[in-house]
Parts: sequence; structure tokens; C-alpha cells
Amino acid sequence: MKGLKNLPLSLRERKRYIAFKIIPEEGEDFTYSDLQAGIWNTLLDFLGEYGVSRTSFWLMKDCWDEGQKMGILRCNHKSIDVVLTSLGMIDRLGDNRITFKILNITGTINSIKKKNYCSFKG
Amino acid sequence: MKCFDLHVSPAFSEGRSSPEQIIERARLLGFSGICLVDGIKNYKPHREIKSSFDTKKFGIFIGFEATKASDLDRLVGKRREFDILIVKGGDLKINRRAVETPEVDILSIPEYERIDSGFNHIMAKLAKTNQVALEINFREALNSHKSTRSHIMQKMALNMMLAKKFRVPVITTSGAFSHLQLKDPYILSSFGVLLGLTPEESRAAISKTPEDIITVSKEKQAEEWIMLGVKVVK
Repeated sequence: MKGLKNLPLSLRERKRYIAFKIIPEEGEDFTYSDLQAGIWNTLLDFLGEYGVSRTSFWLMKDCWDEGQKMGILRCNHKSIDVVLTSLGMIDRLGDNRITFKILNITGTINSIKKKNYCSFKG
Repeated sequence: MKCFDLHVSPAFSEGRSSPEQIIERARLLGFSGICLVDGIKNYKPHREIKSSFDTKKFGIFIGFEATKASDLDRLVGKRREFDILIVKGGDLKINRRAVETPEVDILSIPEYERIDSGFNHIMAKLAKTNQVALEINFREALNSHKSTRSHIMQKMALNMMLAKKFRVPVITTSGAFSHLQLKDPYILSSFGVLLGLTPEESRAAISKTPEDIITVSKEKQAEEWIMLGVKVVK
């Protein structure tokens, strides 16, 4: 049996891709799982389960660049402000102190990849 | 778009990071200038503090924060010696004094440790007349949790509603005590939207309004300046 037919463009959710870079303190490091746990816990604390469900939030694992500490996350176009404010509430990942720098916000993932904010080219 | 953070406390004030660390991080985050804020206890004319920094490439402004009416009186007397005069609100009397004083540039956190929002329509009218900007301080939300954070944000949103209605200038700052608490301009702008500003107003709160405050502040430092709208023309 074939999968679901794609929704027409006009009915699809309008997504936004946020490219970010994490600036850790000198001599401190963190892992991807710290990042994942930190972001999800903060979002759930700040927005609640229902609030997070309305944002269509997703952290894109394939786009995480461990070397440069850059990554991409996705949400819908109405939730950019709540997601960005939630990211601002994160000042630690595990025991490591960090700062979020927002590199770009785009409507398609390709436009982020063109600007080399993402090492994943698949 | 030039972005400014007009409320950062360095180590020579109550903060924990050196001015150099703060400036480096602010530049990395994309700010065009910051204001290093000190208290009246360590008062020094701004030229003495500024002389140790290179202010050509990156805007560094020196501000002083008044927490009591007596501090405010002293700082008003020395208004020509520094860039920005901030009043830390909380007490109703100091909130009222701040919006009544044209020498004041920013009223910071009028809702501080209060049950009400500490700011009403009369104060909003006075703030508009005297061009005293109302500050959205991100640190207040950052350092609180759960119900406290929700109460603080509710009071901030109420103040923003009044500021919008009476066209009081609004600025968004990180209120950082260390370079780690400095926030990206995108994040500060989004926080304003969450409190009820439109995206345009929110962007202006980190770029145009702080720039206007700096311009007016330079006028206030000039010897020709007497009061808002009045200056000596030779």
C-alpha cells in the first residue's frame, strides 16, 4: 500500500528553519544529547506540553555540526518568537555555560544549506 | 540594523564579568554598542571609565543607575558627566520620580518585587512627556522560574500595553550581570513580541529607540542643554 498522498502546498504548514550556533565557555564542552535535553526541557518548562505541540518544534539531528557547534531547528511560522525566547532561557547545557547565537531564520532548509550554516548536504 | 543593549552590569559594578569579556561577547552576538551601567557608590565621570576602551569600532556608553530618590537627585546634578541615566523601579515613589524627571533616560523594571505592575496611565503620560523609556529586562524572566516568571511576564505585558497606548518609548535589554547573560538581538526582539509588541515595535526597541536615547543623551551632555526642548542658541 502506498503512503499518504502529499498535502497540496496551500494546506501544508508553513515552516521556519532557525540556524543557530552555540558559544560555550572556554574549556567547557557539551554533547549533542546535552543540547537535546536542554532545549526540550526548557521548551516544556516555558511553554508546557500543549504549548510545545502548537509550535511543531523539531531539532534536526542530521544538521548538527559538532565541530562548529552549529545546528538547525524547525518550527512553524507562528511560533518563531516563542521558540526564540525559549532558547534565550537556556544558559546551561548539563554543567556547561553557553550562549545561543541565532545565525539565520529561513523558510526553506535549502536556503540555510546554501549559506553553509549546515554541514549536512543530503 | 544596528542593535544596542543599554543595560549591562560589568565587574566594576554589580556584575561578574570584566568589561572586555562583555564587549567581546556583545560584538560576537552582533550588537553595535552597549551601555555599561554602574551604581552611584563607585561614581566616576564617564571619561575616566571610557578612556580604557576603544570606542571607535564599537559603541561603549557609560550609564548610572539610581535605586533611591537621593541617588537620583545626586545623579541628576551630574547629568552632563555620563551617557545614560537609568532608574531602577519597584518603589512607587521612585517610579513616579523617574517619569517626572526629564534628565532620566530609562525606567527599569517598575514591577520589581511588586504585586501590581508599578506603572499606570498617569505615569505613562508623564513618561511620554519627559521621553523616559520603559525597559523590558530579559534577566527578570531569565532568573525567575515557574509561577514567579509567569507573574513577572504578566506585569511586563500590562506595562507594555500602557506603553503602546500612550506611545511611551520602549527598549529591550538583556540586563546582563555577566557576559553569559547577554542575549542575541533576535531573542530580545522575540521577547518583546511575546509581551505584546508588534514585530516592528519590538525591533525598534533594540535598535531605533536606543539610538534615539543615545542621540538625546549627547544633547543632554552639551553645555547648551537646559531641559527637554530648551537649549541655549548662541
